[in-house]
Amino acid sequence: MKMRYLGGLAMASALVLSACAGGGTSGDAGESSGSSDSGSSAEGANTLLIYVDPVREPACLAYQEKMAGEVDITCEVVGQEEILPKVVLSNQTGSGWPDVTFNPSNNVGIFQDPLNGYALKLDDYVDPAIIDGYNGSGDWCKIEGSYWCLKNDLAQTVLWYDTVIFEELGLTVPTTMDEFAATALELEGTGYVAGAIGDQGFYAGYLWPSGCPISTVIDTDTVQISPDAPECTRVVELVQPLVDAGVLDTRGSFDAGFIEDIARQQKVAMQIGPSWWGQFVIRPEDSWGIPAGRMTAAEMPSWAGESTNWSGEWGGGVWVGNSNHPNPQIVADAIVFLATDPDMRADKVTFPGYTPAFEKWREPLTTDAFYASDPTAAMVAQVPKIRQTERPARFDLRGQLGVLGTEIQGNPGDIAGAVRTFMEGAIELAQGVGYTVVD
Amino acid sequence: MGAPDITSGAPTVVVTSAKAGIVKLKAGTAARINGILMFLPYFVLLVMFAIIPIVVAFNVSIGPSRLSPDGGLGNYLFVLQDFRFLPAVINVGLFLAIYLPAMLIVVAGLSLLLDTVNMKYTVPIRLAYLVPAGITGSVAILVWYFMLEPSYSPFAALFAEVGWTEGTDIFNTSNLVWIFALMAFFTGAGNWIVIQYGSLQSIPDDVLEAARVDGANAFQMAFQIKLPLIRKYLVYMLILVFAAGLQIFVEPFLISSSVYPGLAKDWSLNQLSYTLAFTGGNLGAATALSMMLMFVMITLALITIYRTDFFDEAVVRAKKGEAK
Repeated sequence: MKMRYLGGLAMASALVLSACAGGGTSGDAGESSGSSDSGSSAEGANTLLIYVDPVREPACLAYQEKMAGEVDITCEVVGQEEILPKVVLSNQTGSGWPDVTFNPSNNVGIFQDPLNGYALKLDDYVDPAIIDGYNGSGDWCKIEGSYWCLKNDLAQTVLWYDTVIFEELGLTVPTTMDEFAATALELEGTGYVAGAIGDQGFYAGYLWPSGCPISTVIDTDTVQISPDAPECTRVVELVQPLVDAGVLDTRGSFDAGFIEDIARQQKVAMQIGPSWWGQFVIRPEDSWGIPAGRMTAAEMPSWAGESTNWSGEWGGGVWVGNSNHPNPQIVADAIVFLATDPDMRADKVTFPGYTPAFEKWREPLTTDAFYASDPTAAMVAQVPKIRQTERPARFDLRGQLGVLGTEIQGNPGDIAGAVRTFMEGAIELAQGVGYTVVD
Repeated sequence: MGAPDITSGAPTVVVTSAKAGIVKLKAGTAARINGILMFLPYFVLLVMFAIIPIVVAFNVSIGPSRLSPDGGLGNYLFVLQDFRFLPAVINVGLFLAIYLPAMLIVVAGLSLLLDTVNMKYTVPIRLAYLVPAGITGSVAILVWYFMLEPSYSPFAALFAEVGWTEGTDIFNTSNLVWIFALMAFFTGAGNWIVIQYGSLQSIPDDVLEAARVDGANAFQMAFQIKLPLIRKYLVYMLILVFAAGLQIFVEPFLISSSVYPGLAKDWSLNQLSYTLAFTGGNLGAATALSMMLMFVMITLALITIYRTDFFDEAVVRAKKGEAK
């Protein structure tokens, strides 16, 4: 009888396992590459295990070469979504942490949490001059008065516009959001649009610069999310008439249809978008493929009553160090090199945060014939104007931003409802990770 | 019956030579050792990659977490009360309600048809069924995306006829369950048609011959003779397909993480488990949800084993009895 049940159990397990493996419905998300034991912090004070994405790998390899003989560095290319679970698992086992990680910006909110404890407090190990070199744009990493990461790049929003269309219609570049709306309405009936809002761009380019509290972390246990704040409702009130007039597209900027019907036909007269759009979205032949001499960037328009024309951010990775490493200084040194070295970022599409690095990065672009005029002046102007009301939180805002896009695409006639659904979801997510949500 | 359960086939000697007690004992011991030897390699893998992970996961699921500092069943309660849990249950339920009957009807129907058609054509037709099944997993989802996205689809003109001109006309929340059922169906059905065709081949010729002599036509043969005889294989298929469907992950995950960000976020239970672990770092809740899914799976597996006669040794005999 016993054997019979053992056999039954074995078969039951086999069925469960085969069901897991069968068909196209099981997941194999997150496969690690290479050995994760090598260079683990537990082994010694002079070894570093660095997790990077493919774009950041050359910088890591360069540092590996530079430090050869002094620090034994292992560079491992790891999916961005794998870092968090790997750190959590290492916390569980008490060993095997990666020593330096390149993260999506929000991870620092989780890693700084004392209950997680992974993030190394950088204050004592990084020269204050480095922090100053960010001109305040690195303050995303400043939590409770200390720095817990260094920004790799800034994704500050600017106003991209097509000078040819502006000249054709006799438009002037808007400097306030009211002017932006008026300019957009002048596009009605021309076939041109003032961009697309059915994705994260609506958060980064409208809600965040307006100061709508969505991820406004007050302390470790409290976050402000206020769907009814005037900074949120004014965005909806400004945008809805533009959507109704057909001058704001409610698809995403990466939607195949939008790219085909609008962007590639050079129908985007202007669009609020992050600094990396020029080289990554607008220029490449296989993306928007806008011809040379048309596009450039202007500073962000300001919201009524604001003394500053704030930017939001769409992306912008951060470097975080391992607080469990026996030699925090070599961790911090690696972070400084990876985040700020000018040579390592000159040819990348993203805007470096550290002043000497962005000076080198912008240089070829200032005279680049692709742009109608130097687009980097506006980007540089926005560097200290990234609105610091939105803060790294422990809940997955980035995932929830997908909901915002989906809601806008699904209900173009009710942007207010879309924003409310998005924010109410954010409230539930925040409560789900233990925040008290205040209005 | 005793030990021979696991090693069906080998102990037939034992059963037939009932006379000699000593021989039986020896043969029984040998069969037992053989059985253990045959089972051992699997058992090692089972312990390493199933039992140990399950025990670890269970420990994590009852361990302390930020929202359940005392451990215990707090993580389970947290998942059950999560605002994404019930919608995911409903989504997966609807998906199964479309996917399972579609699989059952189409697979049974087409395999019966395949079994009935002229031998000359069965090989190319069988191959045709297998082709879509050859495109599986993530690749199949990309293929379907290109088929359904009006900007790329070769059927764009057809879609335009019914008013679908933009991606969001097709890829929207109310259509998702149909899209995922379609994807899962086409990647899975072909394989099962060929497998069920195989099970139809196992029906003894004398049974079919008898039916034919009694004057049954092809239709009667299919529905009154063949279908009842492969019933248990269809039940087996349903249970495996249910298990796979309950764990639906790749379809919503890929659509939601690449082409339409957030469209199907946390749409299925497995996705929710993934989100809890990978974006929230909440391993306790993620493992709690996984344990609950596994409980459903194991219950189903045990039902398959003990409440259907699929693993019965005397399959052929029972079949003959039924046919008479």
